[in-house]
Amino acid sequence: MSELFVVGISWRTAPVAVREKLAFRDEELAPTLQAMTGELPVAEALLVSTCNRVEVYGVGKPSADPTGPVRAFLATQRGLAPADVADVLYDHRGNAAVRHVFSVASALDSLVLGEAQILGQLKAAYSVAASAGTSGPLLGRCLERAFGVAKRVRSETAIARGAANVSTVAVDLAKRVFGNLEGKSVLVVGAGKMSTLAARHLYASGAKHIIVTNRSPDKAEALAAEIDGIAKPWADLEGLLVDADVVISSTGAREPILTRPLFKRVTKARRWRQLVVIDIAVPRDADPAISDFDGVYVFDIDDLEKVVAANLAERARAAEHAARIVDHEAGQFEHWMRTQGIVPTIRALRERFARVADAELQKTLDTLARRDHTPAQQREAIQRLVQLVVNKLLHQPTIALRESPPDEAGMRAEILCQLFDLSPVESGDAVTAAASQPGISVPGVSAGDDEPPALGRDLAAESPPSERKAVP
Amino acid sequence: MTETERLLSVAPSPAFWIAVIAYVAAAAALLFVLGGHARFRPVALALVGVAFVAHGADIGWRGVQHVHPAQSVREALGFLSFIITGGYLLASTRWRLILGGAAVMPVSLMLLVVARLSPAGAAPEDLTALGRIHISLATIGVGVFALAAALSVIYLAEERALKRKKFDAIAFKDRGAPLAALDRLSHRLIWIGFPIFTVALVLGAVWVSRRGESLDRPEYPLAAVTWIFYAILLVVRQAYGWRGRRAARLTLAGFAAALLVLVIYLVRRMAGG
Repeated sequence: MSELFVVGISWRTAPVAVREKLAFRDEELAPTLQAMTGELPVAEALLVSTCNRVEVYGVGKPSADPTGPVRAFLATQRGLAPADVADVLYDHRGNAAVRHVFSVASALDSLVLGEAQILGQLKAAYSVAASAGTSGPLLGRCLERAFGVAKRVRSETAIARGAANVSTVAVDLAKRVFGNLEGKSVLVVGAGKMSTLAARHLYASGAKHIIVTNRSPDKAEALAAEIDGIAKPWADLEGLLVDADVVISSTGAREPILTRPLFKRVTKARRWRQLVVIDIAVPRDADPAISDFDGVYVFDIDDLEKVVAANLAERARAAEHAARIVDHEAGQFEHWMRTQGIVPTIRALRERFARVADAELQKTLDTLARRDHTPAQQREAIQRLVQLVVNKLLHQPTIALRESPPDEAGMRAEILCQLFDLSPVESGDAVTAAASQPGISVPGVSAGDDEPPALGRDLAAESPPSERKAVP
Repeated sequence: MTETERLLSVAPSPAFWIAVIAYVAAAAALLFVLGGHARFRPVALALVGVAFVAHGADIGWRGVQHVHPAQSVREALGFLSFIITGGYLLASTRWRLILGGAAVMPVSLMLLVVARLSPAGAAPEDLTALGRIHISLATIGVGVFALAAALSVIYLAEERALKRKKFDAIAFKDRGAPLAALDRLSHRLIWIGFPIFTVALVLGAVWVSRRGESLDRPEYPLAAVTWIFYAILLVVRQAYGWRGRRAARLTLAGFAAALLVLVIYLVRRMAGG
């Protein structure tokens, strides 16, 4: 049966200098997938290409190992010799592949544990594969399950809790003070790159008024235009501080700008409303002493990085729990895959039984319809119908069992016993034993049966040589 | 046995003991949740719920025995802790107040135990309708102040942790309520509690003077001091914008004075005065 496989490269195995050589642009994904399923022994395929990984998830064609050809394909597609990337590419098959896909979706394999982007990237890759016609039932089922596992991991573990970068930590800290940033006003002092990022995050979290001030008005204008803010003159700083809820400061000044005397006036004018000061400048813009004022909370770059480190440590602890969830889910998926193999057999068995029963029932109904029958005759016809159906159904397996090669006969008999919950009688008198049970009529044993007793023959032929019964 | 003696000898109901066990279990469960087992929060809250229901059942059972919450300060204490637990349950539907719960549960338990198991002392005489209304309103007022005080404690703990950059401090585990919300809610509660307490105070003074007692017992001026604390708090907040740390400290000072009044009452009652 065909199984899932993974071939790829990630931040774990290769630096960005190598990863970028194997990366695919969005518009290249569909043609690459179609080439892969067209030229290689690959029945289903998906290609995910992000800054941290390039991976192919697929299903091989029956009785073929697709991983070698896919490795070579990836290299040649990017104009590299397969040998050059042999060491950095990895592959997984079967359950290991499923576990890998689940881990990736749950961001357990991400550079920043628990980050949220990878799930969206996988969903996008899946939709590209679906529209390119290269994702099939097995891969589809695996990906759908992976998305479910990722959701479960995020909700049941702390893997995605706590901000993992300085800008989002700034937002988190502001939220600890204000709860909701909806409608809060943000003052950006200085026009550094970090303050741009932090201001964007605050904006995305609902803060609506963003004011930018800088010693050089041009820079303030430029930054304000970039983040949908309003530029205000540097001379208004004190008044701007009075109106702000969150201050992000990153000037290049050598001496503190947000000083104690300034804040003494500012906090009084604010009537001690809460003010969060995020000071990401080095040297620092805010005098640490201003946090003594009631309602003023000052965080410098070290504080933010300390939070990031603590959150990442928390995530690492949660990753153990998450890995157990992934293992459990991968096990369940493997079980589902195994049962998928027997579904067609079950369907065929049911169809065969239904066909036999229907055919015999139809014959009996036709016979009964031709003329009037006494109740006794009707009863006899139904009895015969049941016997015929049983005979026909058992005929083939009985023959097959009887003609089994000697080394397989025992095993087959044992399987039959398990399937039908049989406990064969040791003595050669099986027929009599069965017939003596109330309510069971054994053809060939009951008197007055004019039908050739096929079942009886089978049983009689089978029962005497007791050594043929492997199972006691 | 006189009627008053019978009333005083009403023993705690089985529901009381269930409430006591549930309070202890809830406090332990909340501490367990604080220790990092966030998954047990629903269990802890369910235990608080059990304590609340059992506590209410005990009050109801006493009502059937004709012992009413407003009958004495002792009974009122039992009702006070019932209000506090209910307020906590209500607030925790909105915020993850695990630390607050771990602080509130022992207080509720202590008040309930004092209310039921402390010696009853002499029966209050001439408990008029005026007296009952005074006790009821004072209880509700102090209950609301108690909730405001609990929020102020959480505020001060969170504020201290944030100022000292202790981001992994216990106050932040599982994201306590934001500072601004705690401050606002505490202020609103005082706005609710203050008029109730004011009316209770006036009725109390009328009740005392009708009985012809003098107002020189220590609890009377202390009750006035409590009222003054809260009045100052509301004025400075309205007029000068005081909030945050200073407001929280004043709230706690006011509640401490209110508690002292209750303690003096209880001690006097136990001593038979």
